[in-house]
Amino acid sequence: MGAVRRHKQRDVLGQASAATLGAYAAFVLLGTIPLTAYGDWTLGAEAGVRHDDNVGNAQFSPDRVADTLYVARVSLARLIPLDDGYSMTVGGDLGGESYHRLTGLNNVSLDGAIALKKKWGLGALAPWARAAVTVARSSYDDSYRNAWDYRAMLAAGRRFDERWNFWADYAYENRAASPQAEEVPGLSGDAYSQVSHSLGINLEYSLMESTYLVAGLLARHGDVVSTTLQPNATVYYASSALADDPAFGPHAYAYKLTGTTYGYRVGLSFSPTAHSLLGCGFERFETHADGGNEYAKSIVDITWNYRY
Amino acid sequence: MNRILAALACLTLMGAAVPGLGAELRVLVKDHHGKPVTDAVVLATPSDSKIAQRAKPPADAVDQVDKQFVPYVKPVFLGSKVRFPNSDHIRHQVYSFSQAKVFELPLYAGTDAPPVVFDKPGVVVLGCNIHDWMVGYIYVSETPFFAKTEAAGTAAIADLPPGEYTVRVWHPSMEGGENTTLRQVTLAADAPTNITWELGLKPSFRVPRASGAASPGYP
Repeated sequence: MGAVRRHKQRDVLGQASAATLGAYAAFVLLGTIPLTAYGDWTLGAEAGVRHDDNVGNAQFSPDRVADTLYVARVSLARLIPLDDGYSMTVGGDLGGESYHRLTGLNNVSLDGAIALKKKWGLGALAPWARAAVTVARSSYDDSYRNAWDYRAMLAAGRRFDERWNFWADYAYENRAASPQAEEVPGLSGDAYSQVSHSLGINLEYSLMESTYLVAGLLARHGDVVSTTLQPNATVYYASSALADDPAFGPHAYAYKLTGTTYGYRVGLSFSPTAHSLLGCGFERFETHADGGNEYAKSIVDITWNYRY
Repeated sequence: MNRILAALACLTLMGAAVPGLGAELRVLVKDHHGKPVTDAVVLATPSDSKIAQRAKPPADAVDQVDKQFVPYVKPVFLGSKVRFPNSDHIRHQVYSFSQAKVFELPLYAGTDAPPVVFDKPGVVVLGCNIHDWMVGYIYVSETPFFAKTEAAGTAAIADLPPGEYTVRVWHPSMEGGENTTLRQVTLAADAPTNITWELGLKPSFRVPRASGAASPGYP
């Protein structure tokens, strides 16, 4: 019965997602063409491979699932210089993720962004601040996770010289997923919707000509989704929502919890040409969530970026 | 026979008076590994300062192509008017903070920007306030006799009035100052003078142009 219900939801959501994504794509493309403005078009592309040793954010070893995913993304943005050190960027990007094992998590996403940047003074060493808003729509093979993602970001930074660059950012994220039916009466099925606040500080250092080292620290507070392969009473009592998570298996459940995550990232990148950047990185995150649920994950990635 | 010799002697004397048959300085600039150094500016300052005063500064230009200054290094004579045409289909905002010339050209496209007069000798570092990775150099020379090395590390200054010169080299990434490269030479009209320099070069750190999603630099 549950399986039948699940398939029906997937069909309906799948059709809705295609229509929504189409309309959204048109909206994004229109948004990137302010015809009267004199702007600088930027075409970007990204491809990468990433390994996550705990995709489902599980606490205990039997529930931990590692997987490798392939990422591709193309973006189109228009930078519009304004007066008094201001510039505006309007753009959108289309991306996808393909998992090696957890194919239900395969997804495509389309997002539109608008950002306003202010530079105080002339030159690469002038301090700057930026405010940005993005709206994204994600569509998953496992349609339970389909969501609208709203983000508001503030960032500020300064390059100290040709070698040292520093910036900090804050982001508010509201991920509104399609609500699921209650698995347990009285407990919400909306496990995939999340609200969070995050803070990051980042440092970039030129090791050699065209070789860069990036290090960052992150703190995040808000909703997290932890998936267990079998029902887990401890997590269940601490959770604010519960839903099937068929991408991880027939008896897997996703629990929504409130948690705080601390993490860091180190990365090394090399620019073989003026337009491209090849990089690798390592990230480590540790989360302390309600009910004593504590989990950690590590991610390694290799990415290639192109910008023209 | 005597008539022929007399005619040749006359032609030789006439040739010495024609500017196109002056002295020539040929240089080769290498780094410590023997690799040719491109974009090095070679300058020859005559001991007789009146020679340099006779020269008039020409009009020059530094273009902007694919969000880069072209050429990367541009030597110009003191007092030159330099235009900054923009061959990109976007706007640029060219500036310099250098002591030799402080200026700013507000956002412009095409060839709208007025020329800039470089009236103090020295190095002028160029930047674009919109595209932080754009860097270029103008070397404002107090002598009209200069050249820039090509990919092979070679350059030639022709049609120099024969005489005593102080020659030197400058490069954006050179270790030490250009005064460490000073040499005194006597240039004659009968044969080119060859000089080789070996420069120590520092790594050239530039603001990265292509960057990942984590970078805030651009856009």
